[in-house]
Amino acid sequence: MKNMSGQRITKLVAGVAGAVLLLSGCSAQAGPDSSASVDLSKVDYSGTITMVNKFSDPSTSKYFPAMAKAFEELHPGVTVKVQQESDQGYKDKIKVLASSNSIPDIYFVWAGSYAKQYVDAGFALDITSQIGPGTEWNKTLAPSAVEAGVYDGKSYGIPLDLDAKFMVYNKKIFADNGIEVPTSFSQLLADCKTFKDKGITPINFGNKNGWPALHYVTQLNAYNVPAATLDKDYTATNGEFTDPGYVKALDQFKQLLTTCTKSPTAANGIDHNDDEVGFAAGKSAMMYLEWVEFGQLDGTQLATDGWDFFQLPAETDAAGSPTVLVGAPDEFLINPKSKNPALAVAFMKFVVSQENAAKMQTLMVGYPSPVIGSMTSDNSSPQSIKALDAVSKASGLAIWLDTVTPPAVASAYLSGGEALVSGTSTPEEVMQSVQKAAATSH
Amino acid sequence: MADMNVPTAGATDQTTIGRVRDTPPIRHRSFLSPGGWRSVIWVIPGLALVGVFVYFPLIQNVYLSFFDWSVFKPVPAFVGTANYEQMIDDAVFWRALFNNTAYAVVSLVFQVVGALVLAAVVEEFVRKRGRGILRAIYFIPSAISITVAGLLFYFIYQPETGLLNEALRQVGLGDWAQAWLGQESTAIWGIIIMSQWQSFGYTTLLYSVAMQRIPQELYDAADIDGIGPIRRIVQITTPLVREMTSLLVIITISGAFQVFNEVMVMTAGGPNNSSQVLGTWLYSSGFINNQFGYAAAIATVIFVITFALAMIQLGSARRRRVEW
Repeated sequence: MKNMSGQRITKLVAGVAGAVLLLSGCSAQAGPDSSASVDLSKVDYSGTITMVNKFSDPSTSKYFPAMAKAFEELHPGVTVKVQQESDQGYKDKIKVLASSNSIPDIYFVWAGSYAKQYVDAGFALDITSQIGPGTEWNKTLAPSAVEAGVYDGKSYGIPLDLDAKFMVYNKKIFADNGIEVPTSFSQLLADCKTFKDKGITPINFGNKNGWPALHYVTQLNAYNVPAATLDKDYTATNGEFTDPGYVKALDQFKQLLTTCTKSPTAANGIDHNDDEVGFAAGKSAMMYLEWVEFGQLDGTQLATDGWDFFQLPAETDAAGSPTVLVGAPDEFLINPKSKNPALAVAFMKFVVSQENAAKMQTLMVGYPSPVIGSMTSDNSSPQSIKALDAVSKASGLAIWLDTVTPPAVASAYLSGGEALVSGTSTPEEVMQSVQKAAATSH
Repeated sequence: MADMNVPTAGATDQTTIGRVRDTPPIRHRSFLSPGGWRSVIWVIPGLALVGVFVYFPLIQNVYLSFFDWSVFKPVPAFVGTANYEQMIDDAVFWRALFNNTAYAVVSLVFQVVGALVLAAVVEEFVRKRGRGILRAIYFIPSAISITVAGLLFYFIYQPETGLLNEALRQVGLGDWAQAWLGQESTAIWGIIIMSQWQSFGYTTLLYSVAMQRIPQELYDAADIDGIGPIRRIVQITTPLVREMTSLLVIITISGAFQVFNEVMVMTAGGPNNSSQVLGTWLYSSGFINNQFGYAAAIATVIFVITFALAMIQLGSARRRRVEW
């Protein structure tokens, strides 16, 4: 109560406002040239480049400082300044920096509409000539990772990692109860019932921040809605969200909640990370986890019990794409107003290279690299190698619903997902609010 | 002692124990008078700082609330009162306003009325040494960072392993166990209760300090008149800490309308926006939904509400000021 945060926010909004107003004239007169060409054969290896990212967590914070130091040693005239923020802190910081035209040379973005906002506003350099199809760099990277950084037919995003969502299961609990890996959604529900009848929590699910529910819905949307419809609806304009597959996806998610979780309506009060700790301690049979979370399972009871994963199975009559996998790489964009954009691109090419990608396995624990061949059985777990295979076999990656859609639609889905979990809205009501948000987003 | 306006049985107005202030006229030195300009020079730096960092942003915020703009639309478009009209139709805004109001009402009950009663009871019934210990115990939660307190209560409220649900189960009330922060009907109340736990000790301490300033002679006179402890609290203590009460009412209400951190830590406004308050909805509108003009309009409403309530309370307190 004694915190005056409200006042701080008022002033922050006004401060951002002031910066925008003061600088808007500058932007109009000398706007960023997002199509400025970059020639890496003529890089001026001198001066300072700046980067801001969201990897301040101790498990991931060592990589970029190490890369900066190595690049500086390789090119003595160069200084690389790296700022690392928390996930939430980054979202605030980058918008304040953007509003005052102070974006660093290299900055992090989530793939999808989130990144496209920066592209559309001219805050991203077109690097098609460097990473686009047919280029040398392109050939070293997983195609799905590069594709996620393409907006309006041009390449802007540099993929740092690969990520996808899998249903991780406890092999011992499965074996002890005679359960096989399910091959359809109905089979998964039947297995959940078997576990519940035996007093075992089938799936740990914490939805305190809303996004865990959307990861399920992202996958189920891909299964139940035709790809062309999804592409159209997920774009910033013209989203209708009237395909019956959307309601069916939410229906299936609700069934999964009811059948597979311990307390279906309690999930909004449980943090995903807390539930992951419980799952790792052997308290449940399954949990829907990201590939980048695999490293956190090392040294746990689950590791002792043995674990594996499978893709969330689709229903047999799915109208969408049952081979699409939910996931997206984290990306970096280059500021077109950078004093030395070629040097910024050169640094990122250095970071996302065969040699340094291999170092990610130790410096960013569990983070898989998009560089082809960088993950081997020597530096990666068997599960990570299997995940790499699964991603390469997937017909496409379905980007997270809360970053692929425009902010208003994402917010409607986030609050709708929470309402679905707490039982205060039906799938139809959630989709009505999503349709309303899509109609007003621009 | 007879002239000291000792409270009498049935007295209800503070004028029975103090006097309505008859303030003598204060002679102000005009800036135009000889030497007056020197005071202006000393005040200018402070005025400049307050002007630049407080009043200019406030005025600019009001101005920007009439524009549609965001980080990605660097040239704001004038939209008149559209942002305020959007607010009228925004169910989340009204929910947030209700939550802030509930926050204020509950905070007044616990942090003003409850703290007054507690401080009076401690000062009246507890021996001197015990008072210090109790004050320290009450004050400890206030010394904890609001972020830490929020996380602490998140774990207390945790549906499956939390202390609260476990306690309910242990005393046979397992049916009452629920996801306190995960349900739309209980989330904001869980946050409000945490806030009372965190803040009531601070206001109790302030009341204790105010009560210690009341002249002992008044209580001695009351003793001679045979007035019991409860009536002493009601008829001596309570009226004579009126200024502190006024201050705490302002702080509590304005704090309730500026609440932000505890909500962000415990629920981030969820589930389904049920625990949004004006501060968090402002943040979401600006920094998540990219509607900075709308966020500025919400900020203006927060300012108007807190400013108006503070003015009403200050005016009321000034009229009823007592001295002894």
